[in-house]
Amino acid sequence: MSTVKSKKLQVGTDATSSNNFTIYQPATPDGTLRIGVGNADSPTEVGRFNSNGYVATNAPAFSATSSANTPASSGVLTKLILDTEQFDTNSNFDNTTNYRFTPTVAGYYQINGIVITPSNADSTTIVIYKNGSHYVSTVAFHATIGVTNRYNISVLLYLNGSTDYIELYAAQYGGTVLGAGATMNGILIKAT
Amino acid sequence: MTLYEKITTLYPDLTNADFMPEGTIMLQNDSDGRGDYIREWNHPTLAQPTQEQLDGV
Repeated sequence: MSTVKSKKLQVGTDATSSNNFTIYQPATPDGTLRIGVGNADSPTEVGRFNSNGYVATNAPAFSATSSANTPASSGVLTKLILDTEQFDTNSNFDNTTNYRFTPTVAGYYQINGIVITPSNADSTTIVIYKNGSHYVSTVAFHATIGVTNRYNISVLLYLNGSTDYIELYAAQYGGTVLGAGATMNGILIKAT
Repeated sequence: MTLYEKITTLYPDLTNADFMPEGTIMLQNDSDGRGDYIREWNHPTLAQPTQEQLDGV
């Protein structure tokens, strides 16, 4: 058996470089094996293996939270002002203007929301909007009025990687705000 | 007075259930500074109030 030692191995010889792949060690070895699209002279990395297994380079994951209360009239579905990013691996979350997640990689995403409602509210609605329209919702009736309540919503959905976006809305009934600390987070589960 | 309060003043028989998903009325605020608005009004018997009616409450 022979042993081949190389820093790069191109798979494919198509005239169109984007039809070929290259597996390679980075110029400064760091314990990873890179996988790129393109010929061996200039591959574009799409993923890598490290000692823990495979890591997709561009797989979006994000978490954003509200640093202050979001003003919200009773009975009005209100978009949560998620102005603080905890992480945003692909810079796909807008935490300054529209408070929405618009991933640039197509695929199936797990999305979670957490809403905190005031102690004087008697019920809460949470809705995940896709492209400005109701996609999935949950309603909770508070067992005890007088305590702050936290509720979750989760969904697995498809986003096309270009124009699709999601937002987190909620309504409370009886108070005037949605509490600081509301969170939306998500991660690409399967690219398409 | 909020939009919700004006509507429930005009129509006191409405309940919170009317304003929940799968209810008859959807009020929305996009947190863009434009305030609350009626996004959908699907109540089977009550007509959507006019701006004049809301302003008069």
